Amino acid sequence: MFLSIHDIRKSFGSGDSRVEVLKGIDLEIERGEFCVLLGPSGSGKSTLLNIIGGIDAADSGEIIIGGERMAEMKERQLTLYRRKHLGYIFQMYNLIPNLTVRENIEVGAYLSDAPLPVDDLLQTLGLAEHRDKLPNQLSGGQQQRTAIGRAIVKNPDILLCDEPTGALDYKTSKEILKLIETVNQKYGNTIIMVTHNGAIRQMADRVVRLRDGRIRDNVLNADKVPAEALDW
Amino acid sequence: MKNPLRRRILRELRQEFPKYLVIFLLMSLSIGFISGFLVADNSMLSAYWNSFEKYHVEDGHFRTPKAMNKAQKKRVNQLGITLYDQFYTDQAMDNETTLRIFAPRDTVNLVCLMGGRLPEETGEIILDRLYARNNQIAVGDSITAGARTWTVVGIAALSDYSTLFSDNNDTMFDSIRFGVGVVSREDFSLFRDSELMYSYAFTYESPPADEAAEKDRAEDLLEDLTQEIKLKSFVPRFQNQAIKFTGEDMGSDKAMMIILLYMIIAILAFVFAVTTSNTIIKEATVIGTLRASGYTRGELIRHYMASPLLVTLISAVTGNILGYTVFRKVCEWMYYNSYSLPTYTVLWNGEAFMETTLVPMFLMALINFLILRRALALSPLKFIRRDLTRKKQRRAMKLPYIIPFFSRFRFRVVLQNLPNYLTLFVGIAFANLLLMFGLGLPMVLDNFQESITTHLLSNYQVMLTLPMDTVNEDHKLETLFSMMQFSAGAETENETAEKFNIHALDTTYEQYKAEEITIYGIEEDSRYVPVDVSGSRVYASSAFADKYYLKPGDTVTLREKYEDDIYSFTIDGVFDYIGGLDLFMSREAFNQTFDEDEDAFAGYFSDTPITDIDEEYVGTVIDVEDLTKVSRQLQVSMGGMMSLVNVFAVVIFIVLMYLLSKIIIEKNAQSISLAKILGYTNGEISRLYILSTSAMVVICLLISMPLVYRALVEILHIMLLNEMTGWLPMAVKPIMFVEIFLAGVGSYALVALVEYRRIRHVPMDTALKNVE
Repeated sequence: MFLSIHDIRKSFGSGDSRVEVLKGIDLEIERGEFCVLLGPSGSGKSTLLNIIGGIDAADSGEIIIGGERMAEMKERQLTLYRRKHLGYIFQMYNLIPNLTVRENIEVGAYLSDAPLPVDDLLQTLGLAEHRDKLPNQLSGGQQQRTAIGRAIVKNPDILLCDEPTGALDYKTSKEILKLIETVNQKYGNTIIMVTHNGAIRQMADRVVRLRDGRIRDNVLNADKVPAEALDW
Repeated sequence: MKNPLRRRILRELRQEFPKYLVIFLLMSLSIGFISGFLVADNSMLSAYWNSFEKYHVEDGHFRTPKAMNKAQKKRVNQLGITLYDQFYTDQAMDNETTLRIFAPRDTVNLVCLMGGRLPEETGEIILDRLYARNNQIAVGDSITAGARTWTVVGIAALSDYSTLFSDNNDTMFDSIRFGVGVVSREDFSLFRDSELMYSYAFTYESPPADEAAEKDRAEDLLEDLTQEIKLKSFVPRFQNQAIKFTGEDMGSDKAMMIILLYMIIAILAFVFAVTTSNTIIKEATVIGTLRASGYTRGELIRHYMASPLLVTLISAVTGNILGYTVFRKVCEWMYYNSYSLPTYTVLWNGEAFMETTLVPMFLMALINFLILRRALALSPLKFIRRDLTRKKQRRAMKLPYIIPFFSRFRFRVVLQNLPNYLTLFVGIAFANLLLMFGLGLPMVLDNFQESITTHLLSNYQVMLTLPMDTVNEDHKLETLFSMMQFSAGAETENETAEKFNIHALDTTYEQYKAEEITIYGIEEDSRYVPVDVSGSRVYASSAFADKYYLKPGDTVTLREKYEDDIYSFTIDGVFDYIGGLDLFMSREAFNQTFDEDEDAFAGYFSDTPITDIDEEYVGTVIDVEDLTKVSRQLQVSMGGMMSLVNVFAVVIFIVLMYLLSKIIIEKNAQSISLAKILGYTNGEISRLYILSTSAMVVICLLISMPLVYRALVEILHIMLLNEMTGWLPMAVKPIMFVEIFLAGVGSYALVALVEYRRIRHVPMDTALKNVE
C-alpha cells in the first residue's frame, strides 16, 4: 500500500473548549489513485489532508507514505518530505503577485531534481499565451490553473487539493477538475482532494466520506465518470 | 536551477522604489560621511606622522633669556643633540591677535607652503593657513603691527605648529587670536633684541627607541642643560602640545563616528525588519503555500533578507565612492578648520572599508536574520490561515465605551502597530540625541562664555614669575639678594590687589588621564573668593566638584607632576566657579602644605590693572580671553559640524517617520478601502490613521527628550572625563527642547501630507479584491 493511515486522532483547544476533530481515522490509498474526501464543514477532512501533508501533526496514530513513517520525522525532514513527495493546491490560489505565470510555476520546479518541462506544462494547462502575465491580470480559473501548474511541475507523488474549485464558478470548476483528471492520468500522481461538492465523487477512484471526525464510508468507485460529464 | 524567487527582488525594489530610495539615501550618506571621515582622518593622520620626518620636526626646544654664545653652543652640541636657532618674536597685531614671527627655516621644522610663495624681501610674510583664514587674511593682503606692515605673499603650515598653542601650558589652542608666520631673513634681522625670544630647537643624534626612552632622554638632557645654561623653558617634543595635540585629537573622534554609523545602520535594519514583517503578513498565504510545498525556512529567510542586503551593499559602495570623493573633502575641511596640517595624499583605508561596508552588511544581515527567523518560525498552516499570532488565545483589549468611537479606533491602530512605534521611538530618540548635540553644544559653549565672563574670580589675575636665575643652590648669597629684590619689586600699591599663592598638582584617578588641578592659597577674608577657608578648610571650585562628582566630606588625592609626592585634601564646601578645576585654601595653610615661607605668594587678584610691578616679575596676566579659549576654539572647530549634525538629525526624523507611517497605511489599506466603501470621507479616515501616528510621534518626542537629555549629559560628562581637560557645565536653554519638539513635529507634518495623499489614493476595490 502506498499510503497507510492508522488510527489518526487530533483535537484542538483544551479543557472545556477541547474539540476532537479526528477520532481515529484508518485509511489506505494505492499509488496513482484519485481519492476524494467528502464531508460537511467541521467533519475533519481538511485537518486530515493537512496531517497527510505534514503541515499539521496528529495527536496520535501513524501515517506511512512509501514506507516512510511521518511520526518519526523532525521539522526539517518533514520539509524535505513535502519538497520531494507533495504538491499542494488550495482554494485560494496563493500565487506570488510579482512573479509571472511561468515564474510562479518555476517556483515549484525549483524544488525538484527532475521537474516536468515548464513549457509543455503551460501548454497542458492552457496557459501558454498567458505565460508572461502577472496573477492580477488573470481570471480566477487561470490563477488556479497556474497554482495547479506550480504544484504538479515537480511531479509529486501525491497531489493534495483542498477545495480547489471552492472559489470558482461552475464552468471554471469543471475545467479545473478536467485538468486534475488529466494530470492524474498523464503523470500518474496520487491525488487526494477535499471537497464538499458531492458531484465530484463520481470522477474519483475512491470516495471517503467523513462525518464528525470519523470515516462513514470508504468505497471504491466502480462507475467512474469523466469530469466532463459531471453536473451539479 | 536558480531559485525563481530571486526574480522578485528587483521587482520588489522597483515597486517599492520610494521606500528603498530614502533608505538608500540615508544609508549611503551616512556611510559616505563616515567613510570620508575615516579616509580623511587616516590619510591626514598618516601625513601628520610622516611630516615629522618629511619636514624634519624637532625633538624638542628650549628657550634661554639671552642668545647663547658660541662656547655654550659647542658644549650643548656635545650633549648628543644638534642645535638649531629658532628665534622668534611675538608681535601684537593691529587686529588684536598675536603673531609669532620666525626667520626662514632651512634645516628643522620646515614649512609646508600651501599657496603663494616664500618671502623674499623685507615687508613680505607668509602666514599660517588657519590663522589667515580665521582672520580673513588672503595672499596679497597687508597686515600691520604698529608701525610695521607686511604683505602676505604665501599661506603655509609650520610643521611644529600643527595646533596653534601659543604657550605649551595653555589648556586649549587659539587659532583665532594666535598665529605663526615667517619673514625673510633680512626682515627678521630688523627686530630689536628686546623683541626676540631666544628659542633653540634640537634633534637627538641617535633618536630614542620609544616614548619611555624619549622621556628618560629628555629628563637627562634637561639636567645636563641646566648645568650649562640658564633656561626659561624646556619643551621636549612628546610634551609639546603644538606638535602632539593634533595626532592625539584626530584619533579620538574615530570611535564616536563609527558608533554613530552602527547606530544608524541598526535603526535602518530595524526599519527593514519592520517592513519585511509587514510584507510577511501581507504574503502570509503565499509563504504558507511555499512552506507546504517544501520550501525551507532558510530559503525564505534568505529570500526576504536579499532586498535589505542588496540595498545595504549598493549604499555601501555608493557611500564609499562618495566618501573618497565628496565627503573626504568635507572632513578635510573640518580638520583644516581646527588644525594647521600640511598637505596630504589620499590613502586607501582597508579598515574604513571593513567598518563602512562589511560591518554594516553584517549588522543588517544579523538583525534581519534574527527577526525573520522568528517571524517565519510559525507553521505553514498558520501562514495559510493567516493566523500569525503566537499567543494561543489572544483577546481584544477591552476599551470602555465611554471613550468616543474614533478615539477607541485610534487606540486600536496604535495597539496593532506597537512594533512600528517602538522602532519609531528608538529612531526619534536617536534623532533627538543628534539634535540635542547639534543645538545643545553651542548653547553649552555660549553659556560657558557668558558665565565665565560674569563669574570671574577677578578681572585680572597677575601671576608673578621668579627669574630663572633667582634660585641657585651653589650661590646662596646671590639667591638671597635676588629674592629680596623680587619681594620688593613684586609689591603693589593697587588697592584692589589681593595676594594669593598657587600650585598645580595632578589628579590621581586610575580610570582617567591625569589632569592639572590648581590649588589656590587665598586670604582668609578674600573678597574675590568669599568662602570660609579658616584653619585648614578647603573649598573646591564647582567645575572640579561637578567633573569628578565631588561633594563636601570627600577626599581628593593629588600628586606632584612627575614626582611621587602625594597630597590629600578633604573638601569642606563647593565654591561656585566654573573657570577652572581649582581647590581653595587659606594662604597660611597653603604655605604650610607646600613647605613655603609664611608670606610666600605667587600673584594677585585685582579688579583694576596692576601697573606698578617690575615687568620682569610679571609672568602672565589671566583674563577672560584666556579662560574662554576652550569654548571659543570648540565653537570655531565644531561650528560647521553642528549644522551638519542638525541637518542629518532632521533627515533621520523624516525618513523614519515616512517609512513607518507608510507601513501603517499599507497594512491597513484594506480597512481604509472598506471604510471608503462604507462612506467615510478621506478626512475622517486620515483622522483615524494619521492622527494615531501623530499622537505617537508627539508622545515619543516628549518621552524621549528627557531620557535622551540625561543620556547626553552623561555621555558628554564621560567624554570630558576621559578625553578633555577642564569642564563645561551642561547648561542648555529650555528653548532647545522647544526647537527639537518643533523639528520633530515639523518633520512629521511633511510626512503626514504625503500620507494623506496615500490614503486618498487607496482604491475602493482593494477591499473587494482580497476578500478571503
